[in-house]
Amino acid sequence: MVKCILIASVLGTSIILSACSDRRIIEEIGFIQSASYDRSADGQLIIAISIPKADSGSKVSREEFLTTARSAKEARITLSRQSQLTLASGQLRNVLFGCSLARLGIWEHIDSLVRDTVISPQVRITLVDGDAAKLLTRQYKQHPIPGRYIEQLLEKSSRNQTVPKVTLHDFVKEYYEEGIDPVAPIIRDKGDHVEIGGIGLFRDDRYVASLHPEEALIFAFLRGKFNQGEIIMDLGSRNGIKETAMLSAINSKRRITVNFDQGVPTVYCHARIQGSIMEYNGTLKISDIHGRHQLETQIAQNVTERANKMIRLMQNNGVDSLGIGRFVRNSMSYSGWKSLDWMAKYPEVKVIVNVSVFIKDVGKLKI
Amino acid sequence: MSLRTNIQRWIFNKESAQSRPAEKLPDTERKPTLAQTLDEYKDCADLIHRTYPDIQVEVLYFGHMVNKDLLNREVIALLLNVEPDEVGNLLNQPQFKVANDSKGLIIGILSGQIAIFRGEIVYLADIRGPESRSVTQSETETVITGPHDAFNEEIDINLSLIRRRVKSSHLKVVKLSVGEITKTNVCVLYILDIVNMDYVDEFVRRIRAIEVDGIYDTNMLIQYIDDSPISIFPQFLTSERPDAIASKLLAGRVIGLVDGSPSVVSAPTSFFEFFSSSDDYYQRWSIGTATRLLRFIAFGITISFTSMYVSVTTFHYEMIPENLLLTLTESRSRVPFPPLYEALLMEVTIELLREAGARLPTKIGQTIGIVGGIVIGQAAVQAGLTSNILIIAVASSAIASFVIPSYVMSASIRLIRFSLIMAAGIWGNFGIAIAITALVIHMCGLTSLGSSYLTPVAPFKFKDWRDTFIRSPFKTLIERPSQSRTKNRIRNKMKK
Repeated sequence: MVKCILIASVLGTSIILSACSDRRIIEEIGFIQSASYDRSADGQLIIAISIPKADSGSKVSREEFLTTARSAKEARITLSRQSQLTLASGQLRNVLFGCSLARLGIWEHIDSLVRDTVISPQVRITLVDGDAAKLLTRQYKQHPIPGRYIEQLLEKSSRNQTVPKVTLHDFVKEYYEEGIDPVAPIIRDKGDHVEIGGIGLFRDDRYVASLHPEEALIFAFLRGKFNQGEIIMDLGSRNGIKETAMLSAINSKRRITVNFDQGVPTVYCHARIQGSIMEYNGTLKISDIHGRHQLETQIAQNVTERANKMIRLMQNNGVDSLGIGRFVRNSMSYSGWKSLDWMAKYPEVKVIVNVSVFIKDVGKLKI
Repeated sequence: MSLRTNIQRWIFNKESAQSRPAEKLPDTERKPTLAQTLDEYKDCADLIHRTYPDIQVEVLYFGHMVNKDLLNREVIALLLNVEPDEVGNLLNQPQFKVANDSKGLIIGILSGQIAIFRGEIVYLADIRGPESRSVTQSETETVITGPHDAFNEEIDINLSLIRRRVKSSHLKVVKLSVGEITKTNVCVLYILDIVNMDYVDEFVRRIRAIEVDGIYDTNMLIQYIDDSPISIFPQFLTSERPDAIASKLLAGRVIGLVDGSPSVVSAPTSFFEFFSSSDDYYQRWSIGTATRLLRFIAFGITISFTSMYVSVTTFHYEMIPENLLLTLTESRSRVPFPPLYEALLMEVTIELLREAGARLPTKIGQTIGIVGGIVIGQAAVQAGLTSNILIIAVASSAIASFVIPSYVMSASIRLIRFSLIMAAGIWGNFGIAIAITALVIHMCGLTSLGSSYLTPVAPFKFKDWRDTFIRSPFKTLIERPSQSRTKNRIRNKMKK
């Protein structure tokens, strides 16, 4: 008898209380796929969101909302006034920041994204060269849902190392970690398309400099190891003809060692690159082993030069996007690191890049 | 009694079979007489009473329970041709046995023997009729490889099927009778030296303690003797396959046969035994392992797939991949009910179809299949009653439930599914977790003949896992299962 009452009361309570829970039945919510943050000319925050629509009856496959507000949460309230659906951010995949906003710092927005438990740490952080809201809300003829288009573009590009993969998790980790600064890919509007516009380098949460998309692979060589990618090398001109080589199916590994010379660190960065030659229009006989070795040296020189230039750029801007500081930190004691003002020392640190290239094969034609 | 002890008792199933009443003593023995026997069978129009005045012999039997040939050859012909002074010698032949007590006489006549009254002495001759189903294939437990014979309703045939497989004098049989009116024969089998006698004694004691008017099937018997009668789970394994039962005997289990039932019970049983089939041992070990794992996956699917759908569409939209979310939202947007009611509607429809299909003859059953296929597969989605993803969820959990070899267990599991769906509809994933936790707590408290139902997981017996979750090669299956608590543990004496 007591058992019956117990069961009945548990069931009864649960049914009564079920109305109190935060039910989110999928057809009643508008799930935000992408959001963009911009700064208007008068300093206001402009927030745009894109919601894919599932209604097969209508021709429009998404909804966009745009509002100006003082904060993201305020914007959410204003935006929900415009929609019949409950806005929910659990399916957020992309967050776009306009470069003008990013120059002033984006931490308060990142902080609110991380704090929200329903937002995945896998959300991508991207910079937009230009107006982010416009990029997100305009019509692309071939891409009905721009949010997904951008996401897939970034996914593919990060697989090929043309941009680093930067998620909310990565950004926050690099923001807090001492000895590395966050980065983010840049995209820009190109009429009917969106294109990769390079890599944005952050000092703390402020966007300070960018790398050209062509330098993306050099950045990837220096930043870590990867297994897929291709690069075109400009090997100078000989007899008026521009010599280029295309290295494909690249495997690359990087090793950083730090040497201390009277308390001053010298950083050695070794990169080992393996790849196949897909295209070569120079004069070397690359099917021959000597010719191939010569080409390897040429490519290594080219990469080293470009890497040195990139490191100089970073040092001049005071951003440690490669995480050199991390290796310096790991090679010294805790108190030593604490007493060292790394960011002050960083621009003067000597970084020696050492690249070795190995050409795995040169293609089917063996002449 | 306080509420707390009640809850504890309920959760941990402390209501064991210990409080069963003691066995009733048999009736006082009386010398059987014709008048008294006739009085016992008064108004039984089917009783045949023949008298042979020449030799002063009277016979009593039920015409429909005896073999007519045998009756004529062994009794009638002999009695007709015998000289009056030769009768005593004739009835001293071995097929005639003297009945000493009236109870034995009455039961004897009821079970198809013929009673011969000559003066003070009563003889019984066994001329039981052969009217029984022949040994055929099992319909509920089919295998692809391996023996195809199955038990039938005749206890003697069932015993012979087992004896033929286990040719050992150590195979012992205890004969019992259950049911005050039906007086159903129950046999308890075990192999001496392998079985733990505590289990046999407990099993026999529980059967003896049954005091009902009648039982008709093994699955009914086990509900009288199991440790937790209100639990949803069957606590003893029943099988129709002699080879499976023979293997249980050798594993040190106690076997129970009920006259009139093709199912045979094996005890004690662990939950995981319901997921193994004889086929696992007849196939190569890798295939046996794969199918066994598949059954455990099926168990997971069947109890949780629909409830996952409900919880995800009601609470946790973040969990769905984006591409799927769009199609799901689209098909959900036309459904007027919340996901909980939508899922319950479909699950009930599937159960209706299954039940209708099980009760109908095969020819009409096909119609049910077609109607069900069209109604559930197409029309329900087009009419906007359900979303098509739910159809997939419901159908795959229904299919998965049929993968479990034991029908009794698969029926229990199907019922559990409903409580999970309810919990998912009310509390989402937390509800599923709560329901599964409650289920696990309940199962941890269950026992089978006093041994833990979740052996070898709890208590943890890792050695047994090689014949529980997987079916490892025979050379590694060296010991009998630990649940049997046998002293004779080694079954494979081959050198590795």
